[in-house]
Amino acid sequence: MTETRTPAETKYQAEIDALIASDEGARPPGWAMTPKSVITYVLGSDAPVGGVRITAKYIGDRATIEVAVATLASDRALLLAGEPGTAKSWLSEHLTAAISGTSALIVQGTAGTSEEHIKYGWNYAMLLAEGPSEKALVPSPILRAMREGKIARFEEITRTGQEVQDALISILSEKQIAIPELGTITQAQRGFNVLATANTRDRGVNEMSAALKRRFNFVVVPVVTDLEQEIRIVKKREEELRSDYQVGAPAPDELARLLVTMFQELRAGMTKDGKTKVKAPGAILSTAEAISVLFQSGILAQSFGSGTVSPAELARALVGAVGKEGEGDLKIVREYVETVAKGRDGAWKEFGKAAKGAFRA
Amino acid sequence: MSDASRVHLFPVRHHSPRTSVVLAAMLARVEPDLVLVEGPTDANGLIDVLTHPETEPPVALLAYRTDGQPGSSLWPFARYSPEYVALRWAREHGKEARFIDLTAAQSLALDRAEGEAPPSAPEAPSPYAQITERSGQRSFEEFWEASFEAPEYDETAFRAALMGFAELVRHGGPRRDLYRARDAIMLAAIEKAIADGMAPERIVVVLGAAHAAAMACGDVEPALAATLDRAVPVALTVIPYSFPRLAEQLGYGAGNRAPFFYQRAHDAGGDYRRATLEVLVDFTDHLRLRGFGVSLADTIEAYRLACRLSDLRGKSGPGLDEVREATIATLCRGESAHVDSFLWPTVIGKGVGRVSKGVGKNSLQEEFWTTVARLKLARTDEVEALTLRLADAVHVEISIFLHRLRTLDVPYASMVGTKRSASPEAGSGLETLSRVREAWQCQWTPSTEIALIEAIVLGESLRAATERLLGQRLTSATRVGQASNVLVDAVVTHTPGAVSLALDACERLAAHDDDVPSLATACRALAGLVSYGSNRESFGADEKVLLPLLEKTFARATLRLPFAVSASDEEAPALTEAMRVLHELALTQAALDRDAWIAVLAEVARSFGAHPRCAGCAAGLLVLARLWSDAELDAALRLRISDTSEARKTAEFLIGFLEVNALAIVKNATVVSILDAYLQGLSKDEFRDVVPTLRRAFAELGKTERRYLVESVVAIREHDAPETAQLAARVMTDQDAEQLRAVGDEIAKAMDDLDDLL
Repeated sequence: MTETRTPAETKYQAEIDALIASDEGARPPGWAMTPKSVITYVLGSDAPVGGVRITAKYIGDRATIEVAVATLASDRALLLAGEPGTAKSWLSEHLTAAISGTSALIVQGTAGTSEEHIKYGWNYAMLLAEGPSEKALVPSPILRAMREGKIARFEEITRTGQEVQDALISILSEKQIAIPELGTITQAQRGFNVLATANTRDRGVNEMSAALKRRFNFVVVPVVTDLEQEIRIVKKREEELRSDYQVGAPAPDELARLLVTMFQELRAGMTKDGKTKVKAPGAILSTAEAISVLFQSGILAQSFGSGTVSPAELARALVGAVGKEGEGDLKIVREYVETVAKGRDGAWKEFGKAAKGAFRA
Repeated sequence: MSDASRVHLFPVRHHSPRTSVVLAAMLARVEPDLVLVEGPTDANGLIDVLTHPETEPPVALLAYRTDGQPGSSLWPFARYSPEYVALRWAREHGKEARFIDLTAAQSLALDRAEGEAPPSAPEAPSPYAQITERSGQRSFEEFWEASFEAPEYDETAFRAALMGFAELVRHGGPRRDLYRARDAIMLAAIEKAIADGMAPERIVVVLGAAHAAAMACGDVEPALAATLDRAVPVALTVIPYSFPRLAEQLGYGAGNRAPFFYQRAHDAGGDYRRATLEVLVDFTDHLRLRGFGVSLADTIEAYRLACRLSDLRGKSGPGLDEVREATIATLCRGESAHVDSFLWPTVIGKGVGRVSKGVGKNSLQEEFWTTVARLKLARTDEVEALTLRLADAVHVEISIFLHRLRTLDVPYASMVGTKRSASPEAGSGLETLSRVREAWQCQWTPSTEIALIEAIVLGESLRAATERLLGQRLTSATRVGQASNVLVDAVVTHTPGAVSLALDACERLAAHDDDVPSLATACRALAGLVSYGSNRESFGADEKVLLPLLEKTFARATLRLPFAVSASDEEAPALTEAMRVLHELALTQAALDRDAWIAVLAEVARSFGAHPRCAGCAAGLLVLARLWSDAELDAALRLRISDTSEARKTAEFLIGFLEVNALAIVKNATVVSILDAYLQGLSKDEFRDVVPTLRRAFAELGKTERRYLVESVVAIREHDAPETAQLAARVMTDQDAEQLRAVGDEIAKAMDDLDDLL
């Protein structure tokens, strides 16, 4: 048996080891490598480090990563904010993997997240049998991160309720958790910090209080607007998915380009040449969505098609991605295909035909 | 050459605080007897003005051509410009300072492409791009900041670093002949200073790094100096400059992206950490003023983050990029919009320099500044609003002054229009005629200064310049409308000479002008002046002259109208506008031939040769003035509408008809019933055909007009359907605003339905 998905620190073990081995300079306390190496790990490098090629995990603005890393090395927590599908969690995973050697200390923020999830709970069988003891204590990922001097991840922080957010304030400012049942206080080891993510579309669900905001530095992960950059991201990540899951077929470059162009034009509400207005769908056509559409069309092609992705598979995979928010979006994309794709050459022509069929249903 | 090589050559980048800091230390060590600075030789006489204790940078040397050709050049100086530091040092220590570059007269003689932005940009941009790319920085400015501004240098290290950089630049791209010629000119100036008896060791030369590098390695071709033999007559002066202006011109030598930030760094002796902290404290203040909850802890964190970022990037201190990124992440909670919209301008600064009194100004500037001071008008780069009451003598004086500047196209004051400002006369003299109040917005900018300097070719005083400019406009005027606009401008700027010239021109042109809109403009201007004369002091033309001219112009307009109305779709809107102006004048000005006008109007209204929109407009005007009985209107409208083959024309007619005074028309039961019948009578296809035009016609109607229209329609259909009759009765009798609003909604819905139909 093999795992479907290995965490970043396992998958890129070799890269992390190489970076640590050839690391020079001072490390912030508790960090596995220097901030510079963390940045190299995330952005990749052209020249191999210690004989190992460092692949780019994030393709985008260097300054974004630099601010994020500089913040994690300070006593302020970091909040990665951004539209859905802009690789916030992906970045968070890689940053923690590089800095702390683990991306597993994670709290998933939901409406059901309680104080227990961010402080500690109890193994009730043990608690009843032995009374409060260190053995009966179930530490939260944050408590564990504090003890080990690592970085805890807090996903979708704005989905948690007010009381959880309030509890987090004291953790972030005091850097300690008291366990009155045991009469102990856990002080955070140096290197502890919190890396949270928040979805800007969720704003208003549980708006963070001013007091909590003050404990964070904010880094907005931008939506990719550069065509070539997004094509590179989509192709690279799709390839990784295929090798991770051992399914799917490769898509020709032309189709990846077509897909990303279409997503960017629908997002912007305008064609790339700025000449034609198009309606923007309600569904979020993120980079992540483009990756998944391309990956799915690969699976379709492998299982039911010719073995390579054709416009027909792409169109079918697209219906699933676009149809999430309802019929209206399907209509919008159909209109887009009819008006924009019609006037273009090559794969667009064929895609236009295929989409007509796929979107009729 | 050997002597010249012994002078103290100091390479600089213009507008670089670090360079200035190192240069100041070097000057203190060497204590030279002569300071030579890159800059136009013919500005030597102005060094005294530049360094005068009352002169406060940013200022600029300004050279402008005096032979009537356009052309001017600026050499801006900030307090942190090394050239300025050198000049000031010389003055404070009683030493001599001189410029050594080619003269402004020579540089203005070069054609535009070559002469642009001296003394900056000594090289093609490509080597800078190459260096930036090699350094891994995102912009050349960032590279410069990280390599030269933030690190603390001693003199030797700095000179070496900058010379090394200059060598890279020199070899990175072709150096154009102009720059090599300037090398030669400057070297010759140095050699001459030595030949005149100054020991080379006692000379400090401050010049652009690339020039310095060329001299240091002996790569100068003396013969090239002779290639720049052409010169044009120029005048030089020193003008106040501003930080925003300094930030506009980017590039190696031209300016800075954030002058105020660099000013702070300079004032802190090149301490960029301090400048960063000052800027962040400033940002905090600005955010608090706007109601953002920002704590001092955030400011501290921003500063620490900026420093950590610069460490991470291997820089020796934070620069602008770190300031920006740290501010976004901390003070602005990730929102870059605040930084762009209001924080960034504070690092650019809005300061304006000052030039010591009575020196370096031309007569127009002198007049401008004394008037501004006397009348207490705006003198900064910030907008100031002003309302003038023209009953007050001082306010009249201000008005004349501002109108003169406006007429001369000097960007300083602009009139704030009322609602009517959508009309083409907005902001012009004509608009003020009918008023006893004028609202202005004044803002001094460096371009004010430039415009004043450029305007000097027109005259030595604002009045003389205005008079000449108006004269020029008259010579090129071909229509009476244009001449009448000049006349109005001449009146509001109190330039009697131009007034009489303009009157002559109006007289002459009115006799031949066939263009009705132009004639209407002239009529309105003249009529305006007639009433203007009664509430303001005399301005060189009185009723005796104006009235006959008005009569004549109006008569010509009346005469030309029947011919003009067979117009194209494009011309029609201007014509209906003109007709409304003329009509209003016909009804209000007793002197005008009202009967002739109405006869022409009736002719146009019935004409099928006229553009239907003009005909509709004429009909509307007649109805409004109660000159047409209901029966006449009924007949004319039915005639129009009966021609169903021309549905589109009918709709155009309606546009013209409704644009006159929709409210009066929609309340008229006769009109509404005919319109209703017309619309009912249209077949489906015809309706589809005219809907766009109709929609335009009815879109012009306001809420009140729409309400009355529906009420009228409901009233007319009274006997057709009892329910609507009831509704109508309620609408007509009930004064409850709530109900009226409900009806308004119905109309809105009806209009929406119409939209959907499209």
